[in-house]
Amino acid sequence: MKLAGNDMLIQSLINEGVEYIFGYPGGAALHIYDSIFKQKEMQHILVRHEQGATHAADGYARATGKPGVVMVTSGPGATNAITGIATAFMDSIPMIVISGQVQSHLIGTDAFQETDMIGISRPIVKHSFTVDHQKNIPQIVKEAFHIATSGRQGPVVIDIPKDITNPDDLFDYEYPSEINIRSYNPPIEPELSQAERVVNAIMDSKKPVIYAGGGTISSNASDELRELNSYIDVPVTNTLMGLGVYPATDERFLGMLGMHGTYQANMAMHNADLILAIGARFDDRITNTPEKFAPKAKIVHFDVDHSSVSKIIEADIAVFGQVKNSLQLINSIIKERLDELDKDKFDNWHKQIAEWKKLHGLNHQMYKEESDANPILPQAAVQHIYHASHGKAFVTSDVGQHQMFAAQYYHFDEPRKWINSGGLGTMGFGLPSAMGVKLAYPDEEVICITGEGSIQMCIQELSTCSQYKLPIKIFNINNLSLGMVKQWQDMNYEGRHSSISYEDSLPDFKSLVESYGHIGIKITKNSDLKAGIEKAFAIKDKLVFVDIYVDPNEHVYPMLVAPNGSLKDMWLSKGSKT
Amino acid sequence: MIERQLTLIMENKPGALARVVGLFHQRGYNIDSLHVDPIEDFTRYKFIEDELNIKFASHEVSRLIIKTTVEDSLMRQILRQINKLIEVIAVSDDESTYLKGILRDENLL
Ligand SMILES: Cc1ncc(C[n+]2csc(CCOP(=O)(O)OP(=O)(O)O)c2C)c(N)n1
Ligand SMILES: [Mg+2]
Repeated sequence: MKLAGNDMLIQSLINEGVEYIFGYPGGAALHIYDSIFKQKEMQHILVRHEQGATHAADGYARATGKPGVVMVTSGPGATNAITGIATAFMDSIPMIVISGQVQSHLIGTDAFQETDMIGISRPIVKHSFTVDHQKNIPQIVKEAFHIATSGRQGPVVIDIPKDITNPDDLFDYEYPSEINIRSYNPPIEPELSQAERVVNAIMDSKKPVIYAGGGTISSNASDELRELNSYIDVPVTNTLMGLGVYPATDERFLGMLGMHGTYQANMAMHNADLILAIGARFDDRITNTPEKFAPKAKIVHFDVDHSSVSKIIEADIAVFGQVKNSLQLINSIIKERLDELDKDKFDNWHKQIAEWKKLHGLNHQMYKEESDANPILPQAAVQHIYHASHGKAFVTSDVGQHQMFAAQYYHFDEPRKWINSGGLGTMGFGLPSAMGVKLAYPDEEVICITGEGSIQMCIQELSTCSQYKLPIKIFNINNLSLGMVKQWQDMNYEGRHSSISYEDSLPDFKSLVESYGHIGIKITKNSDLKAGIEKAFAIKDKLVFVDIYVDPNEHVYPMLVAPNGSLKDMWLSKGSKT
Repeated sequence: MIERQLTLIMENKPGALARVVGLFHQRGYNIDSLHVDPIEDFTRYKFIEDELNIKFASHEVSRLIIKTTVEDSLMRQILRQINKLIEVIAVSDDESTYLKGILRDENLL
């Protein structure tokens, strides 16, 4: 078959089984857009800003495990995509970003809409390609998908000059069926000897904790993790990125750990004698001061990325490989040695944890204590959202207090249901990522829990939602301020609220969303809260935006004491710490 | 802190060197000296060809020699970060080598 470069590119995406392309056209991408027009296998979703395209593709990828695909033009199209690429990179999300480029002979001449996309994106991609000739397109696309979706996953950029997509130049097209990149070989199978050491460490421990993160989700190892704990029955905590990989409603679940982790999760980590770190990377939001991190614990680290292990916390036992394969091996060994495991030895540990939980655990019943004498509490709003959606929804979020409340109070029992920007902390992620999730799962409930600050960073995507009829439920936890920044100013700058208020300039969100053809609900008092949220869920075929005015003075707790604190040093409420 | 030498064998492709140099800057390491040349005669690295079951053509692969002054404790991290670059086939310091992602306890390069 002979094809032109533009058709080759599109045909290659079809060969990869791509369903959706999220993008925005422009000069350098016009030949490609003509090919998109001519085919029926994939749908192009026209966003309103390239950042929206990247987050939508990212949300699609997080929810499905399949790579998200983005198409942008050169220059401003490419630079607008950068924040979304960095977001995906920090959370190891598989994504393919195709950027148009000026014609080959113009590269380096400061041509109209020329920008060095490969250079700009270099530190925030797993890999990138410049297409130098049509005949290499199939191979490059195949390699890009392979790299994005294997090992530690991540975004891959393909920059393609306009002349390479010229419809008049035809070349032989054949899509490769197999791929072998001779310089790329991410580990898959773990070493048996290391796995045996891990099992011995479990047998020897009295206070073990499983600390599982986003890598466990990327590796689709939730079942293996649950199986492991069905044998050993130890406490489990999840990172912000890992929520859902272990059922939040399980008795052994400690909640999230770290900066805004639960008291019992942070205390368990601090006092543990064994930490099984599974697809987690000891981020600074987890460790607090690394020198003071879990002083008595032996560290076992499961990861697919060599460079993640012993980067911040030295591992005593490292298990390199796909987390799924590693856990399968551990499970098969443990199954054989179950009689050696005396589970009663964990009794005191479980008792201790139950005490911590009772002492300072989160109050999940706040929604029961409401009265119109008090402002709406953001935590209670999330609790209502949890109950009204039966705990089964996909929940995307933005960045700030509302995100932490969502993570703390919405209990996720399944992986890939909690979709948020953990590593980069990108405000503006929530709405476009929800679009990607809704396109992937049109029959599932998709919620975006956002703040009035964050939502305005990609609010233009409300228009995309009306075009493609995406009935997402958006809950705007409106505290009239950049709440998380304000909290830090309260705690560290004696309440000097520098640039966190919009004064009286916020839009009336209800009329704003209605102008896009959506439904708006405004809730200002507790007595309307439950009914308002339930009404939003009762409307099935429309996007509903629920603007919930909450107490602007609320803080997120617990909060780790920094600098120089350990995991046991937490603020528990305004003015009181451990 | 002592000066250390790293040797890399990597694909001779446009942009590959920029990834290595960029990585040093991005991770906060300094490059004291840098030498690159395409490998004409691969005899010395025949074991890599055997390992990968492939024959390299002349100039297809480059050798980089980088001198850097870092804390001992960072050396392993630098090696691992370099090893992660997709176009790097092998990288070594005085004591160890990553050969296509697999760690060996000696300097093979
Ligand atoms: C793009 C971007 N800019 C700035 C920040 C820093 N930041 C973190 S939280 C936050 C406030 C977010 O406000 P809002 O969305 O209203 O959430 P709230 O904390 O009030 O719930 C800011 C500015 C960020 N995370 N992302
Ligand atoms: Mg706010």
